[in-house]
Amino acid sequence: MKPSRVTAVIEKETKEIVRDPVTVGVALIMPLIMLFLFGYAISLDVEDIRMGVLDHDRSPASRQLVDEFVRSGYFRPAGAYGTPQEVESALQRNAVKLALVIPPGFQEALARGETAPVQALVDGTYSASANLVAAYAETIIAGFPEVVAPAVRVEVRVWYNPSLRSANFVVPGLFGVILMAFPPLLTALAITREKESGSIQQVYASPLTPAEFLAGKLVPYGLIAFLQIVMVIAAGFLWFAVPMRGSLDLLLAVGLVYVFVTVGIGLLVSTITNSQVVAMLLALIVALMPSMLFSGFLFPIFTMPYVAQLYARTLPAGYFVDFSRGVVLKGAGLPELWPAVALLFAYTIIIFALAVWRFRKKVA
Amino acid sequence: MAEPHPAIIRAQRLGRRFGGRWAVRDVDLHVSRGEILGLVGPDGAGKTTLLQLCAAILDPSEGECRVLGFDTVRQSAEVTSRIGYMAQGFTLYSRLTVAENLKFAATARGVPPGLLPVRRAQLLEMAGLGPFIHRQEGALSGGMRKKLALCANLVHRPALLLLDEPGLGVDPLSRRELWRMLEGFRREGATIAFSTSYMDEAELCDRVAFLDAGRLVALGTPADLRARGAGAVFRVASSEPGVVESALSRVPEVLGVQWQAREVRFAVDPARGLPSPLRSALERLGRIAPAPPTIEDVFVILTAGAGDRPAADTGAAIEPRPRGPGEASVPGISADRLSRRFDGFIAVDDLSFEVRTGEVFGLLGANGAGKTTLIRMLCGLLPPSSGNARVAGTDVVADPRGLRQRIGYMSQRFSLYGDLSVAENLAFFARAYGLDRRAGREAIAWASGVTGLAGLEHQSVARLSAAVRQRLGLACSILHRPAVVFLDEPTSGVDPLSRFRFWRLVNALAAAGTTVLVTTHYLEEAAYCHRLGLMHEGRLIALGDLAALRAALSEEVPETVEAVFVAYIERERARVLREGGTAS
Amino acid sequence: MGTRLTGLLIKEMLQFLRDRVVLILILWLYTVEIVICTLAVSFEVENMPLAIADLDRTPASRALGQSFLVTETFASAGQPASVTEATAWLQTGRARAALVIPEGFQRDLARGEAPAVQILIDGTDSNIAAQARGAALGILGRFGAAPALERNGRGNAQPVVRVWYNPERTYNSFTVLSMIALAALMVGVIYPAASIVREKEAGTIEQLRVTPIGTMELFVAKTVPTLVMGLLSIFPSLLIVWWFGVPLHGSFALFLALSAVFLVSAVAIGVLIGSISRTLQQALLLSFFGLFPILFLSGTITPAESMPEVLQTLSLVSPLRHYMDVILGVFLKGAGLHELWPQALALAAIGTPLFLLAAWIFRRSPVG
Repeated sequence: MKPSRVTAVIEKETKEIVRDPVTVGVALIMPLIMLFLFGYAISLDVEDIRMGVLDHDRSPASRQLVDEFVRSGYFRPAGAYGTPQEVESALQRNAVKLALVIPPGFQEALARGETAPVQALVDGTYSASANLVAAYAETIIAGFPEVVAPAVRVEVRVWYNPSLRSANFVVPGLFGVILMAFPPLLTALAITREKESGSIQQVYASPLTPAEFLAGKLVPYGLIAFLQIVMVIAAGFLWFAVPMRGSLDLLLAVGLVYVFVTVGIGLLVSTITNSQVVAMLLALIVALMPSMLFSGFLFPIFTMPYVAQLYARTLPAGYFVDFSRGVVLKGAGLPELWPAVALLFAYTIIIFALAVWRFRKKVA
Repeated sequence: MAEPHPAIIRAQRLGRRFGGRWAVRDVDLHVSRGEILGLVGPDGAGKTTLLQLCAAILDPSEGECRVLGFDTVRQSAEVTSRIGYMAQGFTLYSRLTVAENLKFAATARGVPPGLLPVRRAQLLEMAGLGPFIHRQEGALSGGMRKKLALCANLVHRPALLLLDEPGLGVDPLSRRELWRMLEGFRREGATIAFSTSYMDEAELCDRVAFLDAGRLVALGTPADLRARGAGAVFRVASSEPGVVESALSRVPEVLGVQWQAREVRFAVDPARGLPSPLRSALERLGRIAPAPPTIEDVFVILTAGAGDRPAADTGAAIEPRPRGPGEASVPGISADRLSRRFDGFIAVDDLSFEVRTGEVFGLLGANGAGKTTLIRMLCGLLPPSSGNARVAGTDVVADPRGLRQRIGYMSQRFSLYGDLSVAENLAFFARAYGLDRRAGREAIAWASGVTGLAGLEHQSVARLSAAVRQRLGLACSILHRPAVVFLDEPTSGVDPLSRFRFWRLVNALAAAGTTVLVTTHYLEEAAYCHRLGLMHEGRLIALGDLAALRAALSEEVPETVEAVFVAYIERERARVLREGGTAS
Repeated sequence: MGTRLTGLLIKEMLQFLRDRVVLILILWLYTVEIVICTLAVSFEVENMPLAIADLDRTPASRALGQSFLVTETFASAGQPASVTEATAWLQTGRARAALVIPEGFQRDLARGEAPAVQILIDGTDSNIAAQARGAALGILGRFGAAPALERNGRGNAQPVVRVWYNPERTYNSFTVLSMIALAALMVGVIYPAASIVREKEAGTIEQLRVTPIGTMELFVAKTVPTLVMGLLSIFPSLLIVWWFGVPLHGSFALFLALSAVFLVSAVAIGVLIGSISRTLQQALLLSFFGLFPILFLSGTITPAESMPEVLQTLSLVSPLRHYMDVILGVFLKGAGLHELWPQALALAAIGTPLFLLAAWIFRRSPVG
């Protein structure tokens, strides 16, 4: 492997990239867009829930119960109804997510020392928030007018993300996903574009070895990818105020290794096909989709069927997401996270070796 | 630089298969040092595959090939580090400048950095690219890009240079310059093998190999090959070329018929000679005389009867088309000071000319000369920046939509629907022209009869050969019997026999009253046209029939179209320089 | 004009049927993709690895531990010997929550002195953590609360919680339906875009422009087949709906009608993309990355109500947002036009100008 030849490829590739504003734009702007979308739009914080009330009792007690809901801060009154049909219609229309049905004689039952049932109808369409809404409603109602002394005292501590901010959860995981979106795509397109335009034939009919060529492609795209991750990390911390409990250097260092993995995947995809369109679809299906769905980025792995869990465990994105969250939120370091790091190194070597092996300097 | 090996290329029973199809089969080839070998054949003959096999960037399915003494399969790295290979099309990096492209090529090929400036200066001077050293490759003209690609392949002084259709799409002047560079290179002891579908380039080689359907049909010096057609080619000057043509087409000994504007040229099977009944018939129709065979004639003679060319020919007399309203005695096409500008770049510059009804008009010029832009304006596809034109009696600017029903257009790229069958394409275009049911069926039957598509209705277009697709393209454009037909490079890459047939069709159409405007890269096809127009950088620099054009030149030039063409371009370049412009 | 249009429509249908790549892609989007996503996507907490640090080791403490493990929410991650070990497990991710039962638990419980139990939750995944916390509090609240409660003569309200439309509280229905909505959007956008760009790349568009075929005829030929095809593709996905047990409580005819209105928007976007792209690669890139924001803002992954105000308002412009309401409403809630008329109106109000814009841009582009 001659360094001068690798440098020549690097130089050529860099010039080509820089002179193509569209690619540069996409590479630098899209990750930020993704960051903002994911950071803001994916929020499972349940608050400001629209609540409707069907109050058959209309007593001070019933009004007080409704007040308790409002005071909790989770609910917002959005409608008062007179009949069960209206309630049903409101739920169907999505006008309210929770409907309280207070029976007649509510206040009197309480005064007599009996338990008074209060119906909480929850729109279960979206079960995650439905569960929370149901839980809140249950707690508030059961604690009216007074919270009953429990048998067991509970102290709940939420670690690493006590405010349960979605952004804290999403942003560190996003580092892993964004790098699975663009670097494989850009790199795969870079090589298949040469195949389609024919310029790769000049490479084939020259002394350039596959290793030199691929290494030369790797460096500029790797740099872009690294730039992307730095940008997203910076935006994540500065804009979303995600805390950084661990070592930034460690995050960046392992990030660099991960960059090699993702660029390597792009190189590997490009050895499979000659068509830019197919390369693009493959990169999206093989790299991006699994990393979004199965890496633990949004959806917990432990709830998936066993087979899906096994599959999830083969994805490099999954390991980087774990690592990233470990460093950022848990303040963990190499002693705790070395298995993930080791696996990422292993992936880099394997993927690269595969790409070099598959890349033949032959037209067909 | 050049290694002392007896055979630079030695191929034995070389073959390569893609799926079920053999692209190259059973080729034995031997190229000596310092030779220029030309691989001649139409699209699909296997030229590219053969060159790729020799360049060691493709492995054979059978046989072997040794280049510079190294086996192309087991020692491919040794081969690729010693040769130069210029692929078809434009394969450099369009966003890199001339200098950057050369630097990359030099480094990739291991030219010591100290030597680069000297070599670069030498090459750029030879190619005339010195002033453009910092321009991006994509901004150069086609000819310049090819020359640069050649430089990139000469920078390391390879012992063997392989070129795949280096002159394709390039103007004749640039082609000449490419040849000069190659000659210079050969004088230093290098060996060159190149492929082309331009038969006239074959004349310049030391030896020529004919490739057809993957097989080597003949190999020899141009003179040897031409000798194989001696006494087999004739020409007939007649006032009824149509009758001559139909008389010829029914005779099995006749292998190829070229209906040129004022005479008909044909070849017979050398083994059987010209049958006397035919000779007498022809003598009654006009003057018949033997003609010196060209390489193209010999190619046809050697390959006729093979492949999918139907023996029975169609294309004979087409009944005259009915005249539409407004067409009476008006010229088929008349352009008046047409111009078209794109962002400060003048693509067509103040063009005026006329084409008579029933005339075949040939528009010649390099890529980028403005031919396609002109045709687009005449078809109503592109509004002119200034000036106007009348086509088929319709004003191009005022009524572009009305124009469409009266013209036919065959675009440069055989743009038919590859995923549909022949019949489905015809049915679609029939309906597109408003011909439904019975009218459509009749039109389709007529058009496919005229173009010889019978029996191919259910074939998928993607799998047809270039020749058949070309006939289908023509059929789809004449379904509605238009008054004027525009054909943009209809014969690109098609084998000579099919090209002859195509031109016979065109001439038959014209004889039946259709006005035809054709563009072509094959300069010798100019002979099929009644009149020629030469375009260069957006201007019409010559207009008239070949003899008149030749006579109008101030100096004596050979009788070939190429020589006349080059003379006019040089004259134009000189004029521009005098007036203070820059030549390209 | 009729003849020309007929010819165009026939050609489009033939091309569609012969394009195996697109057919497979569509089929995939409507079936396999849905299944994969439904299996993976879940915001529910199930089998969450729970470490139980039982420092008491009495029947009562074991009962408490069991009360967690019998639920679907938690699964055992093991029994660390100390709080320190439990903490370490949280750090490495071996457990996502830890229950610490102090020494003397049984003793204190019997004496009526509420013993303090600690729950440590890994808050990294805030959604999971919130649900886990809610579940844990619920379990602990019910533990030992069965015996009569002493009150000072006043009664307490008793919550009777009914979760409608999704009694099993699974994520499946939501995911299946949102994936169908998504597939409709993708197909509606990608197919016309690809079809237009392919003609540009092949050069057939030039051939068309020379024939008497008018721009509007071409526009109809590029939009109507996709609309029809989009509606027909809904049928295979019904198989998946049935397989996952998603109910259909409302009117299928209404669903089809509103799907058609939705597809108008999708097709319009597709034509826009096809008109401005020069290559298939550009068109696909634009489609995927352009649809991304629409996807997110439309409540297909997380409900729109959870988003910041600004984004919520923005999402009202997204046709997918309203279509989500429609598809969820019709299938799960049995809603009819009486309830869904605002969404129907919104879809029409978004689709119409989009469609007109697409027609206008199409005419202006090199295609038209």
